[in-house]
Parts: sequence; C-alpha cells; structure tokens
Amino acid sequence: MYTRRNFLKAGAVVTAGLSLVSLERLFATVSTTGGGGATGPVLAAVRDGSRREMVDAAINALGGMKAFVKPGQTVVVKPNIGWDVAPDLCANTHPDVVGRVVELCVAAGAKSVTVFDNSCDQWQRAYANSGIEEAATRAGATLVNGKDQSLYRETQIPAGVKLKSAKIHSAILDSDVIINVPVLKHHSGTVMTASMKNLMGVIWDRGFYHKNDLHQCIADFLTLRRPDLNILDAYSPMVRNGPRGRGADDLVVVKALLASPDIVAIDAAAAKLLDRQPTDIRHIALASAMGLGVMDLQKVDIRRIKMT
Amino acid sequence: MLAAFVDFRDVVPLPVGHWLASIQFTPSLVALLSGAGFGLACVLIALVSILFGRIYCSTLCPLGILQDIVIRLRRMLGRSRRSMRYTAPHTTMRNAILWVVILASLTGAGSAALVLLDPYSHFGRIASGIFRPLATIAANAGSDAVRALGGNGGFRYDVVWPSMAALVFPMVMLALVVGLAAWRGRLYCNTVCPVGTLLGWLAKRAAFRLRIDSQACEKCAACLRSCKAQCIDLKGGKIDFSRCVGCFDCLPSCEKGAIDFRWSWGGGASRKKEPALRGQVAVGSEGVCRRDFLVQSGKGMVALAGVSGFAGAALAVSHPAASRRVIRPGIAPPGARSMKRFLDRCTGCHLCVSACPTHVLQPALLEFGLLGFMKPHMNYPAAFCDFDCHRCGDVCPDGAIEPLDLASKHLTRIGEAQFRREECIVVRNGTDCAACSEHCPTKAVSTVPYGSNLRLRSEDTSLCIGCGACEYACPVKAITVSPLAIQGTARKATESRATLPTSSGDFPF
Repeated sequence: MYTRRNFLKAGAVVTAGLSLVSLERLFATVSTTGGGGATGPVLAAVRDGSRREMVDAAINALGGMKAFVKPGQTVVVKPNIGWDVAPDLCANTHPDVVGRVVELCVAAGAKSVTVFDNSCDQWQRAYANSGIEEAATRAGATLVNGKDQSLYRETQIPAGVKLKSAKIHSAILDSDVIINVPVLKHHSGTVMTASMKNLMGVIWDRGFYHKNDLHQCIADFLTLRRPDLNILDAYSPMVRNGPRGRGADDLVVVKALLASPDIVAIDAAAAKLLDRQPTDIRHIALASAMGLGVMDLQKVDIRRIKMT
Repeated sequence: MLAAFVDFRDVVPLPVGHWLASIQFTPSLVALLSGAGFGLACVLIALVSILFGRIYCSTLCPLGILQDIVIRLRRMLGRSRRSMRYTAPHTTMRNAILWVVILASLTGAGSAALVLLDPYSHFGRIASGIFRPLATIAANAGSDAVRALGGNGGFRYDVVWPSMAALVFPMVMLALVVGLAAWRGRLYCNTVCPVGTLLGWLAKRAAFRLRIDSQACEKCAACLRSCKAQCIDLKGGKIDFSRCVGCFDCLPSCEKGAIDFRWSWGGGASRKKEPALRGQVAVGSEGVCRRDFLVQSGKGMVALAGVSGFAGAALAVSHPAASRRVIRPGIAPPGARSMKRFLDRCTGCHLCVSACPTHVLQPALLEFGLLGFMKPHMNYPAAFCDFDCHRCGDVCPDGAIEPLDLASKHLTRIGEAQFRREECIVVRNGTDCAACSEHCPTKAVSTVPYGSNLRLRSEDTSLCIGCGACEYACPVKAITVSPLAIQGTARKATESRATLPTSSGDFPF
C-alpha cells in the first residue's frame, strides 16, 4: 500500500542519494584518452559548469584534494592578482576559483593556506578589487603582501640556463604544497599567459626575466621547484589586449577549467584552447625540451568532463 | 586631520580628508580666490576672528594644535613654569611676511609663497613626509610582534619616505616649529605665520575680547603661566588680542576672575582704557609698518629667492641623481588641467601625496622650476598612475587638482610616452619582452610581430594618456614620458567584441 509515509521515506532516500553523489557525477560524462597510458601525466579538462563546480569536478578527476594536500601541511595558493581590475574583466584569476580551491585545501586538512601575488598594479587595490582578498579570506586563507621585499629570499637556481638565482617569496620557499591557480589570457609579449607565466609573480625582480630572455627564465624557474598542482581558470579567456585587457569586449566565453600536476601539459592544452600550437609559445617548448613536463598531449592522460 | 595624512592603509574615506582640509583657512581662501570652490570656511573663520578672535588657531589649525601638544608636553615635563613672560610683538616681521605673501599673490607667485609659509601646508608635509612612514614602521612592528606570538598580524605595509632632498624642508620646519614651541610657545604663530598675522589683524579689535580687570587683578601671574602666546602684559594690564590664539586657558587660571571675555565694541565696559591701547597699536601696526613693510617685504623677497635658489643649487650638487632629475620637467597629476593653473593653486600640502596608492605623486624639487618647489609631480619611473584611481583629485582642498570621474580620468592626457626603439630589448637582444604593452591600460602600446616569433612595441599616441606605466615597466628605460603644458583628451578606443578563437569542438586537444 502506497502511503504518505512511504512517499516521504522514498523521497528522503533519493535526496540522500543525490547529496552523496554530487550532481556533476550524475550528469557529467567522463572520457579519457590513454595515449600515454597509466605512466603519462594526468590532466583534467572540464567544460560548461560554473567555476566552482568545475574546480570540484577537476579535482575529483585527479583523485580529490587529499591526493595533493595532506593533513597538517602548509599550502600556498598562487593566483594571478596582477591587476587592479574587477573580476568580470578576467585579467586576474576569478575569485570563485581561488575561494573554492582554498576551501578544498582547508577541507583536506591544510594547516595553513597562504595567498599572494607580486602584483603589477598597486597590490592593495589589486587584492581588493580583484575580489580575491575577500573570497580567499572568507574561505580561510591568509593573504600576504607580495610587494614586501623583506619576505623574499635570494635563492640559487643551479639548473637554470639564464636564471641562476632569484629573490623568491618565502611563501613559495617555505610551504609544503604549492598550488598554482592562473587565469588564461592573451599576452602581448609571450603570446599566452597561463600556468608557467603566472609563476613570474613569485619572484621579486621581473625585470631580470625581461632583460635576460623572458621565455628561458620562465622555464628556468621550474628547475627549482614545480607546483604540486596547477588549476587554470579558462572560463572567459582574454583573447586580445592581454595581459591587462581594455574591457569586457576582449573576452570570449569558453567555460573551461583545466587542472594538472604537470605544468607543461596544462599549458600545452591551454594553448590549444586559444587556437595556438604549444610550440608557438617558446617557454612551453623550452620547458618540454628541458624535461620539466610533457608538451605532447598524445602522451597525456586527459580526463575530459563535460558538465551540463 | 592627522589621520588623513598618515593613513597608510587607505581607511579614511576620501571625502573626510577632503572636507577636513577644505575647512582650513588657506585652502579655502585659495579655492575662493581662484573660483574653484565656495571657500565658505575662510569667510567663516574671518568672521569668527572679527567677532571672537583667533579661535581658528587653537581649534582647527593643525600646526597650531601640534605646537599645543609640544607646549603641553613641556609643561608636563615640568621644565620652567615661569619663562613665558609677556614679550613685545614682532610686528614688523609679522606684517612683512604677510605682505610678502600678498605681494607674491599679486605677482603670480602666491601659491609658491604659501608653500613656504602656510601653516596647514607645513603640517601636511610634516605629517605626510615624516609621520606617515614612522606610523607605518610602528604598525609593521606591531604586525610582526603579533605574528611572532602566533597570531595573524595582517599585512605589512610599504614604508614610503619622500626622497632625502624632499624631506629636508619638512624636517627643518618640524624642528623649527617644535623648537620654537618648546622655547616660547606660539612664537611661530605670532611671528612667522601669515595666517596668524592676517587673523591677528582681524582679531585685534574683535567684538569680544579678553580683558584684564585691573581692580580685581593681584598680579599673581598665574595667567602668564597658562598663556601660550606671551600676549598678556600684566604691567600694562593689557592683553594683545592680535596675538592671542584663542585658547582661553587664562580664564580658568585666574582665581580672582580678573580676566573676562566681553563685548568690546562701541560702549564697552572698559571704554576709558581703549584710547591708550588703540594709540599704541596704531603706532605699532600702521605708523611704523606702512613705512617698513615695503622695505621689509623687499628684503623678504630677496631673502626667500636667495634661500630657495641656494637650496636648489645645493640639492643639485648634493644628490647624485638630482642633476638628471632637475633637467627632467615635472608632470602634473590628471585634473591639474594646465601647468600654470596647477602651479597657481597648489600650496603643496601633500594630502594627495598621502592619498596616492602607487606613491607616484611625490614632492617636486625643481621639476616645475622654483615656483613649483614641493608641489606634487608624477615621479616616473619609480611608479605609475593607477588607471582606475583619481584619489588625488578627490582629496585636493584648493582645486589645484580637479576631481574627475573615472571615465574622464581614463581619457585625460597628462603626458606622452616617447620610445627609443634602438634601446629596446627586443631590438637589441632579439628576445621577447613587451613589459611596456603588458602594463599599458589603454593599449596605446601594443605589440606587432617582429623577427622570428618575436613581438615589438607598437604605439598609437592618440590613445596615450601619459600614465607612466610603460616607462615604469621598461626594464631598460627605453621609454620616457614627457609632460603636456595643457592636459588634453585621448581618443576613446573602440573595438568590436572578440570572437571565440577555437572552433574544434568541446576540447581542442
């Protein structure tokens, strides 16, 4: 006999089931290409969700945040906070992405989560107007000043070709885990800025890079330490007038997000999103040649997730 | 007021800083005379002075209040409670200095004279150039201490000192004002300060004045110890109200109630003393002065020109970078409209220097010439003007920098970038750079393909607003922004909406 009680019970079971299995799992289709098989680096590529949903989906596809952050570890999250520009102009990583990444780190048991960038525009204004200060703080991170020279330490980079040493922010040198959270944009000098270029914001003297073969220095830095995880915000990439942009007209809506522990693989895929070949961007080719990651996407275990 | 100048965290709302500065006498007078604002404050202050005396000097003037703090500290330390006796006024010098300012104003150098003499602007430079960095250091130390104890100490802030050369003038003034205050109370206000002298003229025969009742007075001299201005003449039983700064500390100090503040116009109670006082004052201020002031002001002008010329020469010699800087002409902030208009109005109070988030606004030495000493200039390439900011115009109290809405600011041309191609890294080294176009907010600077897979700077000067971002970013300084005598309007860029570059399905890989 079908009673109201039964109906309520059934409803509760269904609701519980839905809450256990997150929505994207129900509707998303995950497909992988096994070009490189189990040995190649993993790249999660997500499309057509909200920024927060896509962060969750990508991290799930990579085995969850616990695969990268162990309880008690100190974490630094490095977004792009280069510009004193509002979030909807996408010159900086979107605060939704940064906030969600910080939340996942905290949930995974991180002892502390630090967020900073060596901004191009005035840092307090960039922190505030990018929306990142508020989102990251609310999620439980501590923001530190990326323009405070006393927080940088001169560090040798023995394997660097041009960049032999640099003043590097202590948050990068001292944290157990580095999570790189760039935004995908056109760049007037390097054609594209994504994960590798974003790490220029952890050193004090960017001018040195510019003076001494920009692309080579970008690649050289990775010989010191590569991020444990890269999460690229490609929801609305800026496709011209980058990296600062002139207005909303410079953006296209792609609704994509990439995540990978391999910084070369993720930038190679990002180049494709901008209709470029990875080899067009010299620092990608250099880093690949130096063995710092895999540029050939055929050898990458790509987990494609299309959300609806 | 202090908070607005010292505010290194940018928490004081801009209208508050602007308003506090606008009620100061000099900025409001400049605004009134130059037609930039209503200038109601200076009229009110003048009226109050005519009615009640120089209450401004004890309640609103920040330099006066700074001196009162010094005087109070001196009293707390108990050093000599007797020395502030009555002294004769330095009437000639007072008037000469005021006349220098008035004459300078008539000859177009008024604001330059005010830079050297206006009390509010002196205070502003001291607070902005000295107190602000000191407060930042203290706050950073506090933040470090909290962090050392395991807490979240918050940000450490940039400690921003003006250049050593630009610091000399406020340092000297601080030493002078504090020194004089510790030695002889409000001597500065009654000898040097032109605002004190002007309000003193008005207050001399104020409607309400402090008077000594010679019948009740026992000459115990308690009032002398309370007086900061040394204007109580106990022997003569008179108070020189042109020098009284209106603190009214003498009233409670007199146990006999022999000092009172009463209506003194027309049939005032002490009518019979009036002629004597008036006679003395008349000789002092009109008889002597009218003859003297021309001579004195002439001397003063020569002296001032000499001092500033010497200072400039000394700076040029002493500072290694100065020779280059002196040659480089100054750039006025957006909203100055024209160089002349800006230099005519600015009194160098440095409220804008404190408010500027990128610290690109710095006190000029000789970038604007002698008449521009201490006025804010765009200090490229140490920093650049934030595109979405016009705090300087929002705080400026005397209309030297006009407030602009952001849409107009985005198009206001204050200078023009010049690019020396042969010095560019891309040309010289054959490697990518583009730091200039990265930073350019208007995309007056973009890049074009160059050589084999390189990108070189390309300019559209009609879009350039002279913000200095490219000059700042250029690692080899192959770009220099030069000033425009009259600020112009840049072309507004129009571009159709960008299109999706990829057509190869959901995942192009």
